[in-house]
Formats: sequence, C-alpha cells, structure tokens
Amino acid sequence: MAHTAHDNEHGAHPTEKQYWMVFVILVLFTAVEVAWSFMGFEGAVLVVPLLVMMTIKFFLVAGAFMHLYFDLKLLNGRLFTWAFAGAIVLAGAVYAAVIASFRFNI
Amino acid sequence: MTDVAIPVEHAPAEHHEAGHASSLGLSNTKLAFWLFLGSECLLFGALISTYLLSVGNFVGQVVAGNPRVVSTMPAEIMNEIAEKGTVNGFFDIPFTSASSFILLMSSLTMVLAHKAVTESNYRASKIWLSATALLGATFISGQVYEFTVFYREGLYYDGNLFGSAFYTLTGFHGAHVTIGILMLVALLIMAFKGKLQADRAETVEIIGLYWHFVDVVWVLIFTVVYLIP
Repeated sequence: MAHTAHDNEHGAHPTEKQYWMVFVILVLFTAVEVAWSFMGFEGAVLVVPLLVMMTIKFFLVAGAFMHLYFDLKLLNGRLFTWAFAGAIVLAGAVYAAVIASFRFNI
Repeated sequence: MTDVAIPVEHAPAEHHEAGHASSLGLSNTKLAFWLFLGSECLLFGALISTYLLSVGNFVGQVVAGNPRVVSTMPAEIMNEIAEKGTVNGFFDIPFTSASSFILLMSSLTMVLAHKAVTESNYRASKIWLSATALLGATFISGQVYEFTVFYREGLYYDGNLFGSAFYTLTGFHGAHVTIGILMLVALLIMAFKGKLQADRAETVEIIGLYWHFVDVVWVLIFTVVYLIP
C-alpha cells in the first residue's frame, strides 16, 4: 500500500487488515466475557478473568484504534511511554485505594 | 512550492492546517485533545466509583433487610436483590451485549473512515462515516429502549440509590455518544460539500479519538456495571 504523508508524520498506523483483526479480537473477548458471566462462577474466579479481559480490550482500543501505541513511539519516547504508563498505574492505585477505603470503612 | 513533483513520501505535511506538529512530534491540537480526554477519564472514573459505592450501599441495605430503604421497584425484584445480593438480575445481558458489539463495530468503521480520508478515498470515507453515525444512533436507540423497560419495571431516577447511580452513569455515557453522533454528522456534511479532503485528516482523527474514548468507557461500564455482580 502506498505510503502517505500522513503516515510519515504520525508513524506507521495499522493497515486495514490489522484494524479488522483488532476488531475480531475485541468481539471474541466480549463473547468470552459474556459466556464467562453465565457460567455460574462466583467471587475471584468470576471477577478476575472479567477484569483481565476488560483491561486487554481497553488497551487494544486505546493502542490500535486511538493510535496511542504509535503516538507514544512518536513522542520520542521512553520518557512519555513511562510517564503515561506511570499515570495509569497511579490513577488505578488511587482509584483502588478510594474504593477500598469505603469498602473497609477506613 | 516548486513545480517539481514531490513524491508523497517526502511531501510536506501541508494538510495539517488544523494543528502544526510541535517539537514533540505531534500537533498541539492533538496533544490538547488528549489532555481533554484525560479530564474525561476523571469524570467517568468519578461516575463509575459513585455507581459502585451507591449500588454496594443499596444492595447491602436491602440484604440486611433495612426497613428504611426507599425503593420504587416492585416487591418481587427487591426480594430477588435481597436473595442474590446483586442487582445484576435486573439487566438484560444478551441485549446489552448486542449494544456493545454495535459500539465496537462503530469504532472499526471510524478508523476505516479516518484511513479513507488520509488516503483521499472520499467515497469510502462518506460510507464509513455514515456507518459510524448510524451504528452510534442504533446504540442510543438501544439505550432509550433499555431505559424505557427499566422505567416500566419501576426503576426511577429518584426511586433509589441504584436508579440514581445507574441512570447518571449510563446517561452521561449516552450523552457523550450523542455528541459524537452530532460531530460525525458535521463531518458528513463537510464530506458531501467536498470540504473533507486529506488536509482535514487530523480533524477526522481527533473526532475519532473522541469516538474511541466513548467506546473505551463502554468497555469499562459493560464489564463493571453489567457483568460483575
């Protein structure tokens, strides 16, 4: 496929085929999520796989469809990649701490 | 500009009038939009947290048999919540799964629309943009139907904590989808007027970022609200 000026400026974005592949993976994960929720599991066996699949779907959409993976590479950087990853981890930790503080009446 | 033909690979990024590339390599417009999406993360983080805490509190009170719990829902549904310790029996998971599929599909059509614009394939860009707007409208129709069913079953916005938190969270998401549809319609009008050329690719990409963000939020809501008890 011809290389466009846009591709040059924004790094190599996925091809159409790759977009379709990401979509198929997302649909498969959604189907497994729904099936898992109907299997009668309880507690961590139910919740942890659902959260893992949700996280994978989150990063697939953000990384491929939102071009975050390619834009972070373009932002030169390890610095930005680590800053972004650090911010996500920090936000998740704060979120978990707040929820836990209510749950356990801290 | 000279009259010498410049290969596409080496053409200047003349089409990025919407935002010039900064020293970071991305345009300021795009970086600013990412900051805006960061603030949206805070909004939806707060809404999801509020939902979890409110519903946890509501279910806890119902299970404990607190007679002071106010609810407009029928007794049989309240008994089911008390028995199972979750409100998830209230949801129609197959229906919501179909809605999720529709929204995921719309994300695919959105990236294909952006790709078509960057490749100056304007006929394809109109088709994919129309498909994205239609899929978004289908999702919203599904949400209106779902809200109507819940309302008829006695789940009112001011009926109990569960209703308030649920309608606020999913309603805010629905409002975001609706705003996204309006932006897509604006893009379509530009496209049909012939004003959506490759030099506007970044505008399409930024509206695409918004659309995918709405999709990502639904990925979280679908799992946290609908699937996890």
